[in-house]
Amino acid sequence: MAANPLFIMLCSGEHEKLQMAAMLASVGAVSERPVEVFVSMNAILAFAKDASPEARYQGGAFSKLLKDKHAPDAIALFRQGKELGDLKLWACSMALDIKGWELNELADGLFDGALGLTKFLSDAESGQFITL
Amino acid sequence: MTVKQKIDARGAFCPGPLMELIAALKLVEVGDEVEVWSSDKGSVSDIPQWVSKVRHEMVGVTPHEGYWSLVVRRAK
Repeated sequence: MAANPLFIMLCSGEHEKLQMAAMLASVGAVSERPVEVFVSMNAILAFAKDASPEARYQGGAFSKLLKDKHAPDAIALFRQGKELGDLKLWACSMALDIKGWELNELADGLFDGALGLTKFLSDAESGQFITL
Repeated sequence: MTVKQKIDARGAFCPGPLMELIAALKLVEVGDEVEVWSSDKGSVSDIPQWVSKVRHEMVGVTPHEGYWSLVVRRAK
């Protein structure tokens, strides 16, 4: 039986939610489960190309712990998920338009393209949907 | 069968040890074993669960002082 695909709608720019999305996406992908992540709203800001970890990861008390304890970097986890499994990341075309960004202004080697919400929602009908 | 590769992932947090194991398994031959050392408590359940799900073979889990040794055989 084919694995149930996982669709993650990532809107929050909070470090803790980015970390959880990266963990879900990477572990799901390496567990032979297709995963697609749609990145929009404040979350897209965390994917700015060449941002420092301090600028990229803004959060609360647990964010500080993640940094202090050197938890795996969320962007690196997304990359590992892509290298080792079936993981696709899509940049919300609306968020790019509002921000005035092109795809090449996002972190290298992560995004498979820009996508509209309607297409993502339509694709997600075939799997499990999680919003963060 | 001998362990072909050892990974010391002690100090790495979830899902670091699992991801390091998966990367290593991709580089060894079918039938080879990879041993990972992890101090992450979740690895003790997560790694055997992943191995079962993707149909590799769990050779053993051995507790040590402050960490576990998990040996996995690449089965496909």
